[in-house]
Amino acid sequence: MSITLDQITKRYQGAPVVNDVSLDIGDGEFFVLLGPSGSGKSTLLRAIAGLTGVDHGRISLHGRDVTHVAARRRGVGLVFQNYALFRHMTVADNIEFALRVRRMKASLRRERRKELLRLVALEGMDARLPSQLSGGQQQRVAVARALAHKPEVLLLDEPFGALDAKIREELRRTIREVQRELGITTVLVTHDQEEAFALADRIGIMNLGRLLELGRPEDLYARPATRFVATFLGAANLVLARHTARGICVGGDPVTALGSTSTPAARDHEVVAVLRPEDIEIAPSREELRSNFLGLGTVEQLLFVGANERLRVRLINAADADQVVTSADSNTAEALLEVTRTQHDRRNYPVTVGQAVTLGVRRLHVLATPLSSFTACAASEAQALALSEEPLLVQLAGRMKTRVSTRVEPALAQAVEADPAPFAGVAVISTDPQAVNTVQWLLLRGAEAVLLLPPQAPSPARVLIHWLDESARRATLAVSASLLRHVSAEAVYVGILADDGEASRPEGMRALLDARSEAQAVHGLEIRTELGFGDVAQELTRRLTEAPNQLLILGVSDISVLTERFAALLSRTESPLLIVWQPGDRPQQA
Amino acid sequence: MAARAAAGKVPLVEPSILPGFGLTFGFTTFFLSAIVLIPLAALVSMAASSHWDDFVHTVFSERALASYRLSFGASLVAASINLVFGFILAWTLVRYDFPGRKLIDALIDLPFALPTAVSGIALTTVFAQNGWLGHYLALGGIKVAYTWIGVTIALTLIGMPFMVRTVQPALAEVQSDLEDAAEILGASRFYVFRRIILPIVVPAMLTGFALAFARAVGEYGSVIFIAGNLPFKTEITPVLIVIHLEEYDYHGAAALGCVMLSISFLGLWAINHLQSWRRSRFAGAGR
Repeated sequence: MSITLDQITKRYQGAPVVNDVSLDIGDGEFFVLLGPSGSGKSTLLRAIAGLTGVDHGRISLHGRDVTHVAARRRGVGLVFQNYALFRHMTVADNIEFALRVRRMKASLRRERRKELLRLVALEGMDARLPSQLSGGQQQRVAVARALAHKPEVLLLDEPFGALDAKIREELRRTIREVQRELGITTVLVTHDQEEAFALADRIGIMNLGRLLELGRPEDLYARPATRFVATFLGAANLVLARHTARGICVGGDPVTALGSTSTPAARDHEVVAVLRPEDIEIAPSREELRSNFLGLGTVEQLLFVGANERLRVRLINAADADQVVTSADSNTAEALLEVTRTQHDRRNYPVTVGQAVTLGVRRLHVLATPLSSFTACAASEAQALALSEEPLLVQLAGRMKTRVSTRVEPALAQAVEADPAPFAGVAVISTDPQAVNTVQWLLLRGAEAVLLLPPQAPSPARVLIHWLDESARRATLAVSASLLRHVSAEAVYVGILADDGEASRPEGMRALLDARSEAQAVHGLEIRTELGFGDVAQELTRRLTEAPNQLLILGVSDISVLTERFAALLSRTESPLLIVWQPGDRPQQA
Repeated sequence: MAARAAAGKVPLVEPSILPGFGLTFGFTTFFLSAIVLIPLAALVSMAASSHWDDFVHTVFSERALASYRLSFGASLVAASINLVFGFILAWTLVRYDFPGRKLIDALIDLPFALPTAVSGIALTTVFAQNGWLGHYLALGGIKVAYTWIGVTIALTLIGMPFMVRTVQPALAEVQSDLEDAAEILGASRFYVFRRIILPIVVPAMLTGFALAFARAVGEYGSVIFIAGNLPFKTEITPVLIVIHLEEYDYHGAAALGCVMLSISFLGLWAINHLQSWRRSRFAGAGR
């Protein structure tokens, strides 16, 4: 491995900007770190270069631990976004800088310089000053300068950011050629997905300091695991669908899913499906669709962009309209589907704005996320509305590109026996001394998890994770991983041993390690582990009281345990709680 | 239409798109003449109207020669001290953030604002043999007040803000990216300083040096207290000029004034020349 990052964490004023990132980059690989601004990608690059220290974790280059090695001894080359050329030196002096520092002989320096200038196609520019070159040429000089001392690793920090489109493409090609010719391991940081697709052998996508997913560009595009990647990498429509015994249902009919979850579900549940704009078909009528029926719509917007036509289509059958969460580049929760068509399709069936069309789905991909949607539940409309506008909930829903719906359920007030329409996704209620009954009531009526939210709760800085029995582990970890991708917080699994001396200690330690390795292997989530002793409810309460801004995710498979032993914990009104229920072997619901 | 008419007319009449060149240029010439050129010309003409023998006698007298040595020598030393320590001050203010930075930044300008006589009195109080610092220095056998050292200290004080204020913006312009780039390429801190930072700030340092030097040569108020004005020893040329004036020897004063004028002019011209030579060497024609 050329570059190995092991649990890199970097904090600024306490908040992690790079959060537990582990990564292996192979020899000669072109790796692209992609993410929005502020995702921590540049900080990570600077940490690899040695310009920024890390608070935790190790960095190795070609098997050599360089965590505490100064930047100038790491043997890397770095290209900056603003070129960072030495303006008082000629091109030749710029390129030879690293060689001069190393006291290389003048004749050898000149030879190396000529070779580098040829590599970046700038022969004969030796005597120019940077101010006499265009932006693209300056960046070529910067690349040549970074390569002069034959570094083992080349790092590029948004190198094309300041250039116009045509020069950018040209330089992109040059860099790819240079990289292939030298076979040098390269890491490029960018926020431009097109650039990532054009250059990368592998892409790693970062958001909120975490490395969310990594893989080959085509795999990430076809089978993203998270909402963020699905919408950040190319355009995507996120649609709520139902996973039933018949398959994935959007609208009414089961649709062929591309994802791995093609197995029929034991229990109907809500899932999030990714519909790529090019996978949506439009036709004049249902009979003429060649793919699965999705719904009816009207064309709202038409945009012609070269090879493709882009349309925004509003779903008009109300039930389905409610399911469309959002499209990639609009944060408004409108039921607008983004569709692209080729010129060929456009000629076969031209449409105009306002025209009614029938929509079909060629294929879709189901996200493995267990958090599909949020429903703010309360006994009165005003309460439900207030709850749905809670800052933490709004932030979560915004980042997850999902919507918060409200639901008024008078029965909630008494938690009486009633038979309402089943719940789906995460039910959100405000904290309440009697919460335990409400939680039980909601879980038994279809809610996959219940979030108890105190008023004006801030975004958590620390998420505590605990499950009451092993059969709840899988679901709890899945929910935790999904949640943690959307908040910038530290994840801690709390293992709790009964106070019976040494007897259960090995078992407890094993549980901790299992939890950690499963989180890492299945969800790519780095969590810390801590061990506590004594009564579970008391220990968790103690930890929650210890520090502010904590959220507890509690997994449970037997609801009666919750009602009998955790009523006190659930009645706390200070910190948010997320109760995840995974029914055990014997379902409790009649 | 209007645009074409304007385009046809403008370059012929005015060298800039902005109107009012004639007015502003006229004002500039008038102002410069009234304030600077005419008084200087009067000085030269007055010096020229004296007898040649008197002129030579005044200008090359032992006392005058000693005063030139002290005036220009001490100014040079003071400007050199400012070159080093003014740079360090500017560096500290630009590169580090610490409590009280704003206050120190404001203190830099104080010598600008203070009447120079006040600075002179203050310095004398501190550096006189029974003063706070002078007392200890005297124990070490160093006498500051009423020697050339005192003169130099006074000139350093009044020149300091010129140096700091010219170097500060230049230093702020050195992007940290440049240092990072150099460090990654293998340069040590000292190498980065010598090869990257210094070349960028040297022009500003030269300007600051020239300003501090020019200011020091012309200084009068703060020096007269701490220098003691002993002929041949601690008498600077401006003091000598004043002495001539007090004796109603206007021609002598003008003659000395002319000498100061020409030496200062030569000095500034040399520094300017050095700067443009550097610019042509480093920044090239592209700028």
